[in-house]
Amino acid sequence: MLFGIPDLQIVLGYGLSIGLALACIVYGWLYWNEGDGGNGS
Amino acid sequence: MAVNTLTMTALVLIYLAATLIIGYLGYKKTKSSEDYLVAGRCSHPVIIALSYGATFISTSAIIGFGGQAANLGMSLIWLTVLNIGVGILLAFVLFGKKTREIGHRLSAVTFPDLMCKIYKSPVLQYIAGFIIVVSMPLYTAAILIGGARFIEPTLGIDYTTALILFAVITAGYVVFGGLIAVMYTDAFQGTIMLIGMTVLLALTLVAVGGWTTGATALTNMADLVPKALASQGMTGWTTMPELGSPIWFTVITTLVLGVGIGVLAQPQLVVRFMTAKDNKSLNRAILVGGPFILMMTGVAFTVGALSNVYFYQTSGKIAIDAAGGNVDAIMPLFINQAMPEIFVVIFMLTLLSAAMSTLSALYHAMGTALICDLWGRGKECALSLKAHQAGIVIMMVLSTILALLMPISIIARATVMFMGLCACAFLPAFAVGVYAKAPSTKAALYSMVTGAVVWFVWTAFFHAAEAKPLGLCQALFGKVTLLGAPWTAVDPIVIALPISLIVMVVMQVQAGKAQPAATAV
Repeated sequence: MLFGIPDLQIVLGYGLSIGLALACIVYGWLYWNEGDGGNGS
Repeated sequence: MAVNTLTMTALVLIYLAATLIIGYLGYKKTKSSEDYLVAGRCSHPVIIALSYGATFISTSAIIGFGGQAANLGMSLIWLTVLNIGVGILLAFVLFGKKTREIGHRLSAVTFPDLMCKIYKSPVLQYIAGFIIVVSMPLYTAAILIGGARFIEPTLGIDYTTALILFAVITAGYVVFGGLIAVMYTDAFQGTIMLIGMTVLLALTLVAVGGWTTGATALTNMADLVPKALASQGMTGWTTMPELGSPIWFTVITTLVLGVGIGVLAQPQLVVRFMTAKDNKSLNRAILVGGPFILMMTGVAFTVGALSNVYFYQTSGKIAIDAAGGNVDAIMPLFINQAMPEIFVVIFMLTLLSAAMSTLSALYHAMGTALICDLWGRGKECALSLKAHQAGIVIMMVLSTILALLMPISIIARATVMFMGLCACAFLPAFAVGVYAKAPSTKAALYSMVTGAVVWFVWTAFFHAAEAKPLGLCQALFGKVTLLGAPWTAVDPIVIALPISLIVMVVMQVQAGKAQPAATAV
């Protein structure tokens, strides 16, 4: 039982949800100034 | 309702006034067709993120899916994994940037227009436009009904008046202000949603004694799972359903995969990518988008599941029994009973924001599809502001009529149906279109038509949740579905999307092999 949840698949689901949201923050921060122009023309 | 009606009415009116003022600011900034259709291709990253998120999350995501989590448990958290991983990260990084670049280079203004210009095929534009104009009103009607049901008791007006008022007010700022007004108001509404869901999570955790206490109590309630659900594979609210059981198929194929993947090729969301000035704006939007979605669906599913603890501790009943068997009534009942009066008001505004932000995006996508992609395709009139305004009004009227006439059993499935159809018909052709150097028009055409047809056949004749209310299989073959379990629980997206993808890939590879040979000849 982890944080009151007995099923590791559910714990993994919560972990991935929070981890992916953090990954979005890290991605946005790392690439904050990348991608000027580039309209493919 | 626990809240003073006068207070509620005053706050709703202030909210509506603020929305209309913001919409008016959008209208003042709209000078050209490009402003009206793709927000001038220079939207701020935070506006893009909030608009994308608020359009993505409708009332049904909070009330409907929150209620499903109360009924089926925390396994729905896997939908949040896909919502963020696929709906934000994958969508923005893999598809968003390419879509923006190609859309800018080809001056595409709608999703069907983008497909037409990538594949150099007006037929694709007609087909994509047709699918949007035919299927999107159903989804729009579902949003309208959800909003009207909220407005009816809140403002004390009858249901039909509430529905028409809701439709007209939302269409008002979309018609005049175009996509700039839609995205400005989305950002405002998204902010309200973020505040509402954050407070909801905090107050719910307080109500159940904190995360670990609440989750442990919910785990200990496993023997209270209704027999009807237990016999179909449900094992508790904090555990996954039995692998391969009907409930496992419903949770994984319909709710998690159907909605999680379906979001990738929704025309009203794809257009948001084309409003960015550069890829830097999309990178920055990801930073806001991920946490926003976590706070929407992650909170709704968690609160929904934990509501069982609250109801059991206060009334001795699980959530679905406390709500009289109505899944959609669980979240509103929980809010009304467990939350302080002032939060009931905040949450009602959160729901109104979720409904209006999705509705405005759908009006814009349907209206522009009708004018730009069907009626005026390739003509100068397609770029006339007045023509687009007329298109939005026509689609608003059609959706409203649909909301008043369609049986509720069909409307209740509209969100999942729309997302499934979009993924099956559009996703393979869209993905190959933005990445292949020489995308095959024939492959896209066959993939799109095959995806749509197989989706429809499986929906009408095999998947019980839709086949039963549609009644087509019953009328033609005298039975609800053509196959028995477990096929009746397998969502159409699981069948139609791989077929559409195989058709696209095989024909694209064949076209790639044929091209050099043809050149050599």
